[in-house]
Amino acid sequence: MQTVGRTRTHFLIRAWTTFVVLAIYLPIACGALAGLSKGRYFAFPIRIFSTEWWGKTWDSLEIHVLVQNSVLIALIVTVLSVLFAFFGALAFARYPWKGRRAFQRLLLLPIFFPQPVLGLALLLWFNALGISPTWKTAVVAHLVWIVPVVTLVIAIQVFSFDPVLEEAASDLGASRLFTLRTVTLPILWPGIWSGALFAFLLSWGNFPLSLYTAGADSTIPKWLYSKMVAGYTPMVPALGTMSTLTAAALLLGGGLIRLLLRRRAELREREG
Amino acid sequence: MSSVAASSLPDSSAATKSPRPVLQLVDVRKVFDGFAAVDGISLDIEEGEFVTIVGPSGSGKTTLLRMLAGLESPSEGYITLRGELINDVPSNRRPTCLVFQSLALFPHMTVGDNIEFPLRVRKMAPEERRKRALELMAKVRLPEDYYAKNVMLCSGGEKQRVALARAFAYDPDVLFFDEPLSALDYKLKKLLEKELKDLHRESGKTFVYITHSLEEAMVMSDRIGVMRAGKVVQIGTPEEIYSTPADRFVAEFFGEVNIVPIRRAEGGWVRRDGKPVAVASGVSIDGDEANVVIRPEYMRFVTHEAGADNTLSGTIFNEYSLGSRLQYQVRSRTGRTFLVEVPRAAAWKGDGEVTIGWDAGNAIVVGG
Repeated sequence: MQTVGRTRTHFLIRAWTTFVVLAIYLPIACGALAGLSKGRYFAFPIRIFSTEWWGKTWDSLEIHVLVQNSVLIALIVTVLSVLFAFFGALAFARYPWKGRRAFQRLLLLPIFFPQPVLGLALLLWFNALGISPTWKTAVVAHLVWIVPVVTLVIAIQVFSFDPVLEEAASDLGASRLFTLRTVTLPILWPGIWSGALFAFLLSWGNFPLSLYTAGADSTIPKWLYSKMVAGYTPMVPALGTMSTLTAAALLLGGGLIRLLLRRRAELREREG
Repeated sequence: MSSVAASSLPDSSAATKSPRPVLQLVDVRKVFDGFAAVDGISLDIEEGEFVTIVGPSGSGKTTLLRMLAGLESPSEGYITLRGELINDVPSNRRPTCLVFQSLALFPHMTVGDNIEFPLRVRKMAPEERRKRALELMAKVRLPEDYYAKNVMLCSGGEKQRVALARAFAYDPDVLFFDEPLSALDYKLKKLLEKELKDLHRESGKTFVYITHSLEEAMVMSDRIGVMRAGKVVQIGTPEEIYSTPADRFVAEFFGEVNIVPIRRAEGGWVRRDGKPVAVASGVSIDGDEANVVIRPEYMRFVTHEAGADNTLSGTIFNEYSLGSRLQYQVRSRTGRTFLVEVPRAAAWKGDGEVTIGWDAGNAIVVGG
């Protein structure tokens, strides 16, 4: 009885996960295929396959500028949002203070606010302040939306941090800075790392905020959209695929670095 | 830490007694939101002493310890260390170290890194640090190959030893312990209690230990302080606390006791039922009400051959084996329950109707 039940459970698990993975990856695969078409227009089935548009995308100066913009924005957003979010997460999850609950609720709200409206609001705000929108204003816009998300991600790690460890460090003579460097940060590091990855990827893929607030500067999602609206070439799916692959590589790289660090720690442990 | 090592070292706890206490508390109070967790404690702790503060949870003992360690500052009163006021000296500037209840080992570090932490703070050279850590590991009986072990992979007892070694690495004048043994199983606890006592004797350092377990306190301490509702009710040697508890609370805290309420009457003391009570001479009690405290081992079955100063009759309704001893629960005519503990050889052989009693010299009279 039990084995039969378990076999059926396993079958259901497999069927379900296969369905989910297919549902997620099939559209992406179709998009990727579209970039490999020799034809100028988006049509299925693809008659002749070619890497021509991949090559063109790779060599395009316009695309280089786009990628540069996107990388620059994402990197700055990552650094700043982790900085803001780290201390925010400490306030969120580490210290008991009056108004903490209100802070926790208020922080969540912007995540649910529709991004196009947020983008437009920010644009109006920049105009009112007399700031003309460029990639720099896009950084600010991204931060408004991404800092709360990263704060949540880091806060999850902070919740599991035992504050007694900081007291113990202090009791053993450590200054606050020494404690932060040797106890708090290393223990929170996985959360910070995840937060940084989240920040980069959310900024990298963000379209609605960039659309309104980047002004004349373009980012990858913004360019993709404008080309879809007018002037489609298979460079659109090609760039889309490249962008996805880059993100995947980043995630994979992050995981790999963590694995290597753990290996090294284990090795050091074994050697003594 | 073995008995051989311990005996080869001079008994420094006795040798280094200074005229001035190492730690002195004067009227220390700690108030949280209008609630006095510690409510006026004055206490002198001598150099090299092992003092245990015992009390039920919520009695303020942890708050007291946190103030001594510098993790809280007192609302009122003074704490001095070797004559110097340390009320507001932060924990990292105090030559004291606390072993936390949770041990607070750094989970991302190896055993060696944990022990070396205070040495790293002092910027000791890595080679020297390692040497010292290995010395300390030997002292607390941790195998040398644990040096590179992930501390989270250690067993409960091993973690205790790591926490102890780390505290010793700091080389504090006074060590504080916040019930570090409470999570361990009985056998291991007994072993570590003895080892801790040995470590105390060897090191000559002052230990202040808090626990809710009187048994633990009795085994290790030179002096025991009993805390209740933010105050120290009584402080004295284990013997003093055991044999002459200051009041009913202390008496009951030290384990199972029989309590007989008494009141003053013409020509002496009487029980509630009006029967006169024989009280040991020299007992002086203020007020007209008091309690006679009789430990179960001093309560016995009264027969024609063996009488007692005080007697009462009742019915046995329970019998427990305590190993080498037997304990009986006897319900008196007035419905009170009494405990009688006798050696196994003296097991009660008669029927359930018994007369039990105690001698005046074995009873303690405490105030209401």
